[in-house]
Amino acid sequence: MDELILKLKNEIIAVLNLEDVKPEDIDENAPLFGEGLGLDSIDALELIVLMEKEYGIKLNDPNQGKDVFKSITIMAEFITANRTK
Amino acid sequence: MSQPVYINSIKQISAQPPLTEDWFDNPVFYTEQYVRSVEPDYKQFFTPNEARRYGKILKRALLVSRQVMAESGVTQPDAIVTGTGLGCIESTEIFLDKLVREGEEFLNPTHFMQSTHNTIGSLIAIDTQCKSYNNTYSHKGISFECALQDAFLQLQGREEVRRFSTVLVGAHDEMLPAYFTLLVKAGYVGKSNQTFAGETAVAMMLSENKTENTWCKIEAVEKLYGDVRKKMEDVRCETSQVSNLKSQILNPDYIMIGTNGVKENDDVYYENCAKWFPNIPLLQYKNIFGESYSASALGVYAAATCLKRGEIPKHLRITNHKLRTADKSINRILCYNHFENKNHTFILLSK
Repeated sequence: MDELILKLKNEIIAVLNLEDVKPEDIDENAPLFGEGLGLDSIDALELIVLMEKEYGIKLNDPNQGKDVFKSITIMAEFITANRTK
Repeated sequence: MSQPVYINSIKQISAQPPLTEDWFDNPVFYTEQYVRSVEPDYKQFFTPNEARRYGKILKRALLVSRQVMAESGVTQPDAIVTGTGLGCIESTEIFLDKLVREGEEFLNPTHFMQSTHNTIGSLIAIDTQCKSYNNTYSHKGISFECALQDAFLQLQGREEVRRFSTVLVGAHDEMLPAYFTLLVKAGYVGKSNQTFAGETAVAMMLSENKTENTWCKIEAVEKLYGDVRKKMEDVRCETSQVSNLKSQILNPDYIMIGTNGVKENDDVYYENCAKWFPNIPLLQYKNIFGESYSASALGVYAAATCLKRGEIPKHLRITNHKLRTADKSINRILCYNHFENKNHTFILLSK
């Protein structure tokens, strides 16, 4: 799980162009939206693309994203349970 | 009577030091064929979320727009008009590159949303909360002039139809390595003696009111297409009898032209100026600001700076041409731009 969390942090930094942010700066249990990294709805779209592209997980219901993207730890758990690649 | 139109602030990000007039006394000269803009430290001006989200052209456009608003004291312009030859070409390139390499399935929404030409004007509208007139012109080398003419006419119109008292005008173009390579192969840039291919970000606040910050007045914006020589003859015939404005176009103190070191391009300027504006001293700007679709906005910026400061720096003077005559007073500068000898534009600025 720790390995996946680190991989996710690096992928999020790259896809969201989080300048000057390092993996160790991100609290994997902090909320991704609103507080924490302060991501917004466009970032959510980028994360949906990331989930499908890297892990073969298609989020058909947008409301599902609210639960899946609560934190990096929750994302990692969801990926572990549902990944197809 | 037409309403006067003033430039109350104008700023640039280009190959010269950004957001300053350092180029006036200490210009940077380049020998490279391709020079990207000198970027300011965006961390001073943008939040981390803004900085990571926006591409280079958007950061530049937003920053110069904010700066002219601050200098002119306008918190919200009445309208926004933008000229861009290539639009947000960097985002377009990333989007298309992914489309080719990875197919249509996993395209990033951010680059898609930012890949349109009017993203620039839209972003400035969101930033300024300006929900009024917002227009983008994309006509290759005369995109800026189209935008300026739109704003000029809107401000200059008769009182009963005039809707705006301030218009934010921008001219923005970026040059990417891959696009530069394509232009070299096509023979548009990179020629022997040709000035460098550069990038442009210019914003200016146009207003119907003169203030203590006013840089200069815009007297006229004219565009000609096609058989330009005949049309200019028509302009000359009308001047003495009909239009004082056109008379002024034909009698500037200086002419700022877009010579770039390519004979075919430069000869058009020299021949037409000799015919239409004999013995008027010529000025240049592409030798320090470079060539791009929106470069003529930097010509207007350079001319406006000369009018504001009341002097012409040595590096803007074309000293090797027989047309040059003795110095004159600096009251009116005509910015003459042509694109491929088809579109010819004239912008007359005065003190």
